[in-house]
Amino acid sequence: MFKYEKKLEYPVNITKKNLEMAKYILTGLGGSAGELAAATRYYIQSFSMPDERGKALLIDIATEELAHVEIISTMFRQLVKDATPEELKSYNLGDYYTEHGKGVYPVNASGMPFTATYIQSTGNPVVDLAEDMAAEEKARASYESLIDLTDNPEILNPLLFLRQREVVHYNRFKELYEDYKNKYKL
Amino acid sequence: MLFDNGFDVDLYMKNISNLKNNDYLYNNDNSNKIVSDKIGLQKGNMFKDEYLSYKGISPDIIEAKTEKDALMLKIYETCFAITDLGLYLDLHPNDSYMYEVYQNYVSNFEKCKDMFEKNYGPINNTFVDSSNYEWIKNPWPWDKDGGTKYV
Ligand SMILES: [Fe+2]
Repeated sequence: MFKYEKKLEYPVNITKKNLEMAKYILTGLGGSAGELAAATRYYIQSFSMPDERGKALLIDIATEELAHVEIISTMFRQLVKDATPEELKSYNLGDYYTEHGKGVYPVNASGMPFTATYIQSTGNPVVDLAEDMAAEEKARASYESLIDLTDNPEILNPLLFLRQREVVHYNRFKELYEDYKNKYKL
Repeated sequence: MLFDNGFDVDLYMKNISNLKNNDYLYNNDNSNKIVSDKIGLQKGNMFKDEYLSYKGISPDIIEAKTEKDALMLKIYETCFAITDLGLYLDLHPNDSYMYEVYQNYVSNFEKCKDMFEKNYGPINNTFVDSSNYEWIKNPWPWDKDGGTKYV
């Protein structure tokens, strides 16, 4: 089971609203390579991992990805909290406001809602790990685009942290992938 | 007030650490592979050769401004070391050096969490050392003062 710890994984303290970045950052939550997809993907895949190392790694990374869902949601919320509906409208968040107010909802940067087609679970651990490696690289690329779009350190620092975590996750998945590829010939 | 002015959380950690072999842990060939928990949290990884900077942008050092935040920051740092070393140990459970470093961070994390909870309220809902149910109290982590107001 999961138990909540009343803290974030990395501090977020955004003091000024920024509706442009708020709209873009939503992809980190609800995009195809976003954190919600990551957490769900690794969580469901952990059930078909063949050995102790795989089960542990997948459930531990899934758990960390939930902490990333929390970081991105916190960032979005702090970026829009003080905005008026008028301001949201002028930054192309009028559609979002209509459906979700200033609540947190998983969509990508162009407003497309999260879908289960973003996640895969084939029952084959080698295939799943190849999927996971690709997902981590896509997430890294998407954080790099977000980093290119801002120079505000309050937004930049958590994004740099999240990007580096994708690098680390990719390395762990790759190591396990190569190991399984040799071991199970799947 | 919990601490005298000028409280140094790192010094505190050094004093409460009950591991005899701290010097060994942080001064040998293996220890060159990893960074401190403070740098680890700042950069997002504990393993030196795994850090991949993007366009040379360096994340800011996280500094605490109050005693409460210093203690919370130490919780963040030790918790991060546990997370990152934990992923490594998932694949290398027999690396006894890394496991020792891991145990050291777990011990420090527990102590800091304990001290924080006793003075400022629960981090886990199993903390019940108070006359009323404090779990629900603001701030929650996504609130602007959610125990993270030190960047
Ligand atoms: Fe990840």
